[in-house]
Amino acid sequence: MAEIRFHPGGLAIESRGVRVTLGDTQVLRGVDLHVPRGKIVALIGPNGSGKTTLLRCLLGLQKPDAGEIRLFGEHIGPKVLKRVGYVPQRLPLDRSFILSVREFLALRLPGTAGWFWHSHRRTDALLRDALEGLDLEGILGRPLSGLSGGQLQRVLIASSLLTKPELLLLDEPTAGVDRPGEQSFYELITEVHRRHKLTVVLVSHDLSMVYRHASRVYALNGVICCEGTPEEVMSADSLKQAYGIHVTPYHHDHGPGHHHVH
Amino acid sequence: MFTEAYMQRALVTALLLGPLCGLIGVFVTARRMAFFSDTISHAALAGIAVGFWLGFTDPTLPMVAMGLGVAALMLWLKEKTDLLTDTIMALLLSGSVAFGIVVISLLKGFRGELHRYLFGDILSVGPQEVWLAFAVSAVVAVAVAVRLNALTLLTASEDLAHVSGIPVRRLNYAFVLVLTVVVALSIRLLGIILVTSLLVIPPAAARNIARNLRQQIVLAVLAGALGGGGGVALSYRFDLPCGPSIVLTSVALFLATLAASRLRQASGRALRSAP
Repeated sequence: MAEIRFHPGGLAIESRGVRVTLGDTQVLRGVDLHVPRGKIVALIGPNGSGKTTLLRCLLGLQKPDAGEIRLFGEHIGPKVLKRVGYVPQRLPLDRSFILSVREFLALRLPGTAGWFWHSHRRTDALLRDALEGLDLEGILGRPLSGLSGGQLQRVLIASSLLTKPELLLLDEPTAGVDRPGEQSFYELITEVHRRHKLTVVLVSHDLSMVYRHASRVYALNGVICCEGTPEEVMSADSLKQAYGIHVTPYHHDHGPGHHHVH
Repeated sequence: MFTEAYMQRALVTALLLGPLCGLIGVFVTARRMAFFSDTISHAALAGIAVGFWLGFTDPTLPMVAMGLGVAALMLWLKEKTDLLTDTIMALLLSGSVAFGIVVISLLKGFRGELHRYLFGDILSVGPQEVWLAFAVSAVVAVAVAVRLNALTLLTASEDLAHVSGIPVRRLNYAFVLVLTVVVALSIRLLGIILVTSLLVIPPAAARNIARNLRQQIVLAVLAGALGGGGGVALSYRFDLPCGPSIVLTSVALFLATLAASRLRQASGRALRSAP
């Protein structure tokens, strides 16, 4: 395992010995994770490696059986979660629930349910800052349940930015998004990261995405089996250690640096 | 026509509970809790039976108590077993109806009353019920207005709600409590069998023509008022059972909004395909 380095500005995420057993399976077997502030990092791992469970622990949705997690040095609770934005892969929305994009975004505006009483114009004015660069103006009146994967993702990012988080956690952000969509997603995330100066954690099973976009990569397989720069982690040896299977980096015609696990 | 006091009471109660059910129903339907409320209403039968057996003259309290008991049992079974929610609800629904019927059949002098609780009866709305309906409507309307953002986010995604600092568990329990009280109150007018319809049909009618949640809430409240008030009027005018009159009025509203939405879609298509 790579040496644990403490960031001088403090850590966004710090976990020690986190263990979680679900049913008969020990999903997390002592996760030590140290994520510095202000970077775009990736948490990668194959299906079943415990990514989702670890993410749920970070969000306080799952209590570890053992170990400790701190965000910005604080135990997980409502107070520190105010500094966290979460972008789920999808929403469990029923088509009969006709919440519009505008209404969904306005739920995060301070004050009591202003969206219900305000005119659309007034709500839009309050949302304007958060919407900048997200290209959502055309779909504000659309129902949330009728959006494409890429549109919903932009809405969820906008929604999480409304609370001005310092840490943004994205769950499988490129699943169900096509190649051009993926490209624009990374441009968007880079822009959001630059503008809002926050820590971004991309949780994904897709190795190709992290290669070009994350400055630091954590490979999970029940434990953090390797971490480092994308180049370090992507070297076949350390990935083999991470995934426990053979990995060959190979090149696609759509660009260099796409690595796949076989 | 509403000169008689009992009729005025029934109408006022319907005009309070109809909109209230429409409001709550928007969230009940979106959270797929229609069967849940049906289970609670059927548990009320057991509550009525036990209340009668214990000597309660007014069954509201035992109805609410039994509804809450069954709701708690439902949540507990969901947490502690691997059973599907549908299975748990079907089990508790049939179990509490069977229990209620058995208790009633052991009691003398109640069987004639059963009919009014199954299908609703405007004559059973006393002054006390009107005040209760007024108080509950006011409290719930204020509570929903204050917690509208939290309730809406909870409906969209419990995980997102949790991360946003909403006390998900507490809000879920509060919602079940409100639902149980509203169901127990509405049984007077609608009866055990039909009470869920007032939680489901007005929001569905509103959904047909609404373009966003705000419109659906406003229209569901209106549909609840029209269904409730219109149903009581019909029941009085044609001497019909109250519950079925309210339900049929609501169904008529649903069909009208369905037709309106189809017409709107058809005219939209025609406009787009016009040269």
